[in-house]
Amino acid sequence: MSTHVELPSYREQAPEVAARFARLQQRPVALEVSGLTKKFETPRGVVTALSDVSFSVHKRELMCVIGPSGCGKSTLVRILAGLETATAGELKVYGEPVSGPGPDRGMVFQGYTLFPWLSVKENVMFGPKMAGKSSFTAEREAREWIDLVGLAKFENSYPHQLSGGMKQRVAIARALANQPRVLFMDEPFGALDAQTRCKMQSYLLDIWKNVDITIVFITHDLDEAVFLSDRILVLDANPGRVAEIVEVPVPRPRSEQQLFDPTFMATRKHIDHMMHPPGQEQKEAPVLRMAVADPDVI
Amino acid sequence: MARPAILRGWFLIRRDLPHGRRVLLTVVSFLLPLALWCVVSYVPWIWHPDVKIELSAEREGVTTVFTAGDHVSREFFPEFVEAVRQENAAVLAAREAGTPGSGAKRKNQKLLRQLAPLAVEQGWLDYTDGQNDAVLYHVWRDLATGARTSADPKLTPENLDIVRRNWAVMSALSPDFSYKQLPDEPLLKIVPQGMPANPVYLPAPHEVFRAAKRDFTAEVPTGELTMGQRYRQSLHIIIAGFLWACVVGIPLGILCGVFDFFSKLLEPFVDFFRYMPAPTFSTLLVAVLLAGDAPKVALVFIGTVFQMILVVSKTTRLLDPALLEAAQTLGAKPRQMITKVVIPGILPNLYNDLRILLGWAWTWLVIAELIGVKSGLTEFIETQGRFRNFERVFPVIILIGVTGFVTDQILSWLHGLLFPWAGKSGNFSRAVASFVSWPFRMVAAGARERIAASEMSTPEVRRNEAS
Ligand SMILES: Nc1ncnc2c1ncn2[C@@H]1O[C@H](COP(=O)(O)OP(=O)(O)O)[C@@H](O)[C@H]1O
Ligand SMILES: [Mg+2]
Repeated sequence: MSTHVELPSYREQAPEVAARFARLQQRPVALEVSGLTKKFETPRGVVTALSDVSFSVHKRELMCVIGPSGCGKSTLVRILAGLETATAGELKVYGEPVSGPGPDRGMVFQGYTLFPWLSVKENVMFGPKMAGKSSFTAEREAREWIDLVGLAKFENSYPHQLSGGMKQRVAIARALANQPRVLFMDEPFGALDAQTRCKMQSYLLDIWKNVDITIVFITHDLDEAVFLSDRILVLDANPGRVAEIVEVPVPRPRSEQQLFDPTFMATRKHIDHMMHPPGQEQKEAPVLRMAVADPDVI
Repeated sequence: MARPAILRGWFLIRRDLPHGRRVLLTVVSFLLPLALWCVVSYVPWIWHPDVKIELSAEREGVTTVFTAGDHVSREFFPEFVEAVRQENAAVLAAREAGTPGSGAKRKNQKLLRQLAPLAVEQGWLDYTDGQNDAVLYHVWRDLATGARTSADPKLTPENLDIVRRNWAVMSALSPDFSYKQLPDEPLLKIVPQGMPANPVYLPAPHEVFRAAKRDFTAEVPTGELTMGQRYRQSLHIIIAGFLWACVVGIPLGILCGVFDFFSKLLEPFVDFFRYMPAPTFSTLLVAVLLAGDAPKVALVFIGTVFQMILVVSKTTRLLDPALLEAAQTLGAKPRQMITKVVIPGILPNLYNDLRILLGWAWTWLVIAELIGVKSGLTEFIETQGRFRNFERVFPVIILIGVTGFVTDQILSWLHGLLFPWAGKSGNFSRAVASFVSWPFRMVAAGARERIAASEMSTPEVRRNEAS
C-alpha cells in the first residue's frame, strides 16, 4: 500500500540546529508558566480545561501550542493574555508575576477584532495612544508598522474594505505597535484559505526575523506548527495537559521547500501520532465500503 | 414558451431585485394607494353611497336643514328633491289659480341665498360673504339673462327655468336688492342638486388638496394659529421631548449595557415602568407641570425614555466583546474602553435605534397635544374632525406622515455619511463624506507636516539585528 521511507527520528538534530537550541537556552526566559490549572463551573459540573500546565518560552523564541479542538488552547492563551483568570498557577513575564491584561502582552485573535470604525492607521495607533503618546508620535510609529506588514497603501482604508489576510496583517501590526514583550496568537490564520495562510506564515516569519518579539502561536494545523516553531507544545485533551514539548529539528531560515524535508516529515509524523494515536483512528474515521471492488478505481 | 425578459426575474426567493426595478416598485408602492383612492373617488359607479349636496333647499315644516356640502344617502335624495318639487308645484298652482300666497318676503330672502354656494364656487362671492344679498340679487339676474353661466356646479335646465321665472317676478319690482322691494308672494325654490359622493370620511383627492391649499396658506383671525405655527409648535414638543429622552436615556442605557451593576439596578424597574402607558400619566403631568408645553414635553419624554434605556443597553451589550478584549490587550483602561471602544462601536446601531424611537415619539406627540390645553397640529385635527371636515383633517395627518418619513429617510441617508466604516453606505454618500471632510483633512495634513518637521526624534521601534 504505502511506500515506506525511512524517516530519521525527530530527535536527531543537525549540528547547527543543536547549536541554535543551545543558544536559545542561554537567553533569558520571556514567559514562565507554572502549574497553570483552569476549571470552569458549568451547569453540568466542573470542567477542567487545563491541568497543571507548565512551560517556559525564551526571548525571541517562536513557540507553537498544538492540540485537538477543545483541549484548552484558547483558554491557555486567554489566561496568558490576562483575559481570563487561572484557578491555580503562576505566570511570569521576564521574571515578574503578572495578572490581568496589559500592554506587555499582545494578542492577535482568530476573528481579527479590528475596530471597524477606525482606519487601518488609526487601528495601529490605538495601542500607542492608550500608552499616552501624542497623536503625531503614534501616527508616525503606526506608519512604520504598517510599512512592515506591507499595507502602506491601505493606511486610510477601513477594515471592511480589506481581505481576511490583510485584516490579520493589520491586527499583527496593531499588536506589535504596542511593543509587547510577548505576542500571543490564537489560531490567527484559521479563517483564511489555504493559499493566503501559507503566505501569512511566511510573512509572520519575516516580521519575527525583523522585530524583537517572543511569540506563542496557537494552532491545530500540524504543518503550520512545524513550519513556524522553534519548539512545539503538544496539549492533551480532557483535561488539557502538556503531552510533550518538541524541539523542531528543521533548520532556519524556513522555506516552503522544507515541507518535504525528512526532518520536517519526521516531526510532523511524530506529533500526528501523538494527537491521533494509531488504532483509535480507525474507530473514528467513517468507513467507505465499495459494493463492487473496481480495480480501475484504485 | 419563453417569456419576454421584462417579465422574468420578478419573483426570486430571497434574491434582491436590480436597482431599476427596486426604484420602480418604490414609486409604485406610493402610486398604488393613490390610484386606489382616485378610482374610488372618481369612478361614479364604484361605491359612492351618498349624494353630496351642491344646491340645497329648505322644506316647509321640516326642521332638518341640509346645506351645500352636506351628504345625504343616495336613497333619501330623490325624496328630498321630490318634496321641493311638490312645494314648487303648489306655489305654481296657487299662482295660476290667481290666489298667490303672501307675506313671503322673509322666506324669499332666504331663497335668494340658495344660490350662494354656487356663487362662492364660481368665485363671484367670498365664502365668508354668503349673505351678501346685493351681490346675490345680481347673480340671479345674470343667470336668468344668460350674462353669466355656471359651469360647476352646472344648473339643471329645471333650475335654470326656475331662476328665470323667479327673476321675472323679482325684476318687475326692483333691478337691485332691497328687502322692501322683494316679492310678497312665494317664489319657486331651487330644486336640490347633488353629486354622487363617498361618505364624508373619505373625501376625494382634489377636495383634500384644495382644503390643504387653503388651510396651509390661509390668513387666520388674530389669536388663532396658522398651520405653520401649529407645525412649529408640534415640532418643538417632539424635539424637546425626544432630546430630553436622549440626554437621560442614552447615558443610562450605555451604563446598563456596560456595567451589570446598573443593569440589575435599573432595568427591572424600567422594564416594569414602560408597561404603564405614558398617556395614563397625562392628568398627573398636567397637575404637576401645569398647562403649557411642559406636560406635553414630559409625556413624549416618558413615552420614549424607558424604551430608550432598554434599547440602548441591549445595543451596547450586542457590541462584540472580543473588541473589548482586544482593547484590553492593547492597554486600554476601563474608562478608555468605554470612550474609545464602546461608544464609537455602538454609534451606528445606536443611531438606528434613535431613528426608530423618534418614530414612536410621534405617536406620543399626538397624545401629548391633547392633554391640558390642546395644541399644535393635533388640536386642528381634533376640531375639524369633530365638525366632520375630514378633507381638512387628512392634509394634516399626511403632513405628519411626510415629516416622519422624510426625517427618517434623511437620517438613514446620513447614516452612510456619518458611519462610512459600517460598510453600508453607497458610493454617493461616500463621495459626499469625502467632499465634506476635505477641508478638515487638508488642515490636519498641514499640521502633521509642521509637527513632523519640528519633532526631530526618531520612533523607538525596537528592531533586531538578524539572530
Ligand atoms: N467560558 C467557559 N465556560 C465553560 N467551559 C468553557 C469555557 N470556555 C472554554 N470552556 C471549555 O474548556 C475547554 C477548552 O476550550 P478551548 O480553550 O476553547 O479549546 P480550544 O481552543 O483548544 O479549541 C472546552 O471543553 C470548553 O468547553
Ligand atoms: Mg480555540
